Amino acid sequence: MTGERKPRAHATEAAAKVPRMSRELTLRAQRAKQEGKLVAYTFIACAYDEIIRAMDIVPMWTENYAGICAAKRDAQRFLEKAEAENFSRSLCTYALCGLGFDAWRAELGEMPPDAPWGGQVKPDMMLGSGQMVCDPRNKWYQAAQHYMPDVPVYVVELPWPPYEADYDYREVQDYYIKYIVQQLSGLIGFLEKQTGKKMDWDRLSELVDLTDKTWNMIWEAYELRKAIPCPMDTGDAMNTMVPIAFMMGTQEAYDFFKDLYDELQHKIANREGVVPDEKYRLLWGGGLPAWFALNDFNYFNSKGAVFPVETTYRNVEAIYNFDVDLTRISHPLEHIAWRWLKYWTYWYDRAKKRPGSHPDVERLIQYIEDYRIDGVVMHEAFSCRTWHPGLIWQLNLLKKIYRDIPSLILESDIVDISSYSEADTRARIDAFIETLESTRRG
Amino acid sequence: MVNNLRGLAAVDKYYRDYGYRARELKRQGRKLIGYLCAYVPLEVITAAGFVPFRIKGSVSEPITRADTQMETIVCPLVRSCFDMALKGSYDFLDGLVIPHACDSICRTYDIWKYNLNLPYSHLINLPHSADDSSLEFFKAVLNTFKNSLERFAGKEISNESLAQAVRVYNQNRAKVRELYELRKSDPPLISGTEVAKTLVAVMGIPVDEGNDLLADIIREVKQRASVPAGKSARIMVVGAQIDDVALIDLIEDSGAQVVADDLCPGAREYFPLVDVTDDPIDGIAERYLRKIKCGRTYREMKASYREYLEDRFGHIGQMVKDFKVGGVVLYIYKYCDPFGFEVPAMKSYIESLGTPVLYLEDEYSMSTIARLRTRVQAFLEMMANGGGR
Repeated sequence: MTGERKPRAHATEAAAKVPRMSRELTLRAQRAKQEGKLVAYTFIACAYDEIIRAMDIVPMWTENYAGICAAKRDAQRFLEKAEAENFSRSLCTYALCGLGFDAWRAELGEMPPDAPWGGQVKPDMMLGSGQMVCDPRNKWYQAAQHYMPDVPVYVVELPWPPYEADYDYREVQDYYIKYIVQQLSGLIGFLEKQTGKKMDWDRLSELVDLTDKTWNMIWEAYELRKAIPCPMDTGDAMNTMVPIAFMMGTQEAYDFFKDLYDELQHKIANREGVVPDEKYRLLWGGGLPAWFALNDFNYFNSKGAVFPVETTYRNVEAIYNFDVDLTRISHPLEHIAWRWLKYWTYWYDRAKKRPGSHPDVERLIQYIEDYRIDGVVMHEAFSCRTWHPGLIWQLNLLKKIYRDIPSLILESDIVDISSYSEADTRARIDAFIETLESTRRG
Repeated sequence: MVNNLRGLAAVDKYYRDYGYRARELKRQGRKLIGYLCAYVPLEVITAAGFVPFRIKGSVSEPITRADTQMETIVCPLVRSCFDMALKGSYDFLDGLVIPHACDSICRTYDIWKYNLNLPYSHLINLPHSADDSSLEFFKAVLNTFKNSLERFAGKEISNESLAQAVRVYNQNRAKVRELYELRKSDPPLISGTEVAKTLVAVMGIPVDEGNDLLADIIREVKQRASVPAGKSARIMVVGAQIDDVALIDLIEDSGAQVVADDLCPGAREYFPLVDVTDDPIDGIAERYLRKIKCGRTYREMKASYREYLEDRFGHIGQMVKDFKVGGVVLYIYKYCDPFGFEVPAMKSYIESLGTPVLYLEDEYSMSTIARLRTRVQAFLEMMANGGGR
């Protein structure tokens, strides 16, 4: 999700390659349509990456396209179009941007004028999801059918057990796994019907293994960011999220992170940090970024602050750290289901060990300790009730059960630039830096 | 019966002093379980020996304390409910049950849980889809909930007690439907404001007392003398949860009559019954996942788009017909993703029936009431002039 008007400075060569990769994702879907291949609207973090690739479905990542429109500061006209269709401007602005685009494209019978990167192609199908987070994943594509009534939608359910005090999630995990496998099987049935061909299960298994390998490589590369000085920060991670979110199950994604790993090793050996004089190490502790304002990360850097770690888009763990041996689960759908469930419950056991704790807060504590963090920054995007409720509470709980650490919650949106003030944001960053400095001096 | 008040007089007391009966029950040693939304299976809570109590907000109380813990981007109704809880309005609760209804409810579960710090809490992981594997999963989720409540109650929830709870809640729903029948006449025998107050009162008292109260009200209303057919516009209100009469009162105060709804509490929640099944969990799962037609549950398109709209909104169309509705007020809260994404499709469906729609986006606050009044009055004028779209 890159491509802002003035390219932001990147710390790594890997991140600098991402805008081209991101653009290619959009162009690939356009070419696929011309070549008669099937294109699907798709969401990130839906565990169906390997399945659609094994079925030769070409993904059109709709959140990515909305993010591109935002980064190019060209989303407002699509948001306004959605509003004219009677969608509230308070709804998810990824969805509003996409729906505004779809409504406009349907009205014109062609791409809206000067559509960023040539536009979002009309899909042959839309693959939604029902999860514990994110209502738009099952509402957006249903709403899009109002403008594309001939395009089928399939919603795959992907739950995980909630964190509760009175029972361990392992007591219920078996029926969760069974259900996820049933849901993924249903998706395959749908895709087989759409494509007229059968799933190649051997190929699916290969892609599942490749994804495991990629998860491990991402984790190992990102662990290198613990180094002082920090060789790569969150500003870059908001670029390197592209292969994590949109290219999983491809050799290209694995190679990207292998290159990043090598590059970070090299930087560490040469003591090359994101900033020459690293003063403050920060945790991006929650919230999706304002895609139109990624230069704010450079502003932090200009103050000697770096982000060695973030919770956002780091939605992988090393497979070998899970408490089940995934290499022993040969059925690809069961394998995907266990990987999904174990990721989302990864911090549950740690939370149980600390009185009054919670997995989300435990994750912050682990990162604060592992990455030697001085302060926590979050971003509250007004239009998203997926990741943003609970940020204030997490910081309050962090201070209650751990320690009083400087924190900042920035406020704007993911797509809607009218919510953003650069002057106000930077004034708040300045004040936060002063707090960090006074804390440092004790 | 409260202070020798019966029927609508008792409703008025329960409505104005919401939680009055719950506090009494608490003093008598009963345990109360607070809950949000229509998706908590009350049968299970009642069968465990607890009193379910629906947490409501207050449109006239400014949200203050909630903002120190919960982001203002959350649905204003949920924020108001949480604010009231933090301010002690529900300090009689022993537990809290929250369903995976929508993001604003599900994603704030931990905020509720850690701040209220009640002896019991549970999240019911209701799936969004309603296919067979989802129903099977939901039954397992309900059994997990049942087991959890049994641990808290220190006793087993028998099939007999569940079956009895199913019966008594079905009676409750049947009585509400009977009450709605009294709205079909022209003019209706009971006003929309009276119905709304009744449903709020009922959600704050035990179900058997609610049944008695509803029976009293039905008797009372049936005794009202019928009057000649009126000229007032007959309005249906469609939206998420309305637990305050402000909007309905405003519509009726503007000269119209609210005769039907697709709301919670309201027809959406009360009309579907639980089928009597050998394992009561089967019937309960079917009702909550498949029979309640709310935008939060995804329904698959199986035929043409027109048939899909009929599948999703046909019950609204049926009510328009059955209750001789002349216009629909579509009332949606800001930050409500499940309903907000429905608006173009729902509006176009209702308008395709020849029924005009007024779409209002609001914030769950009395501060907007003047603006709403202007919009409603303009809508009613347009209807009177034969337009309204």
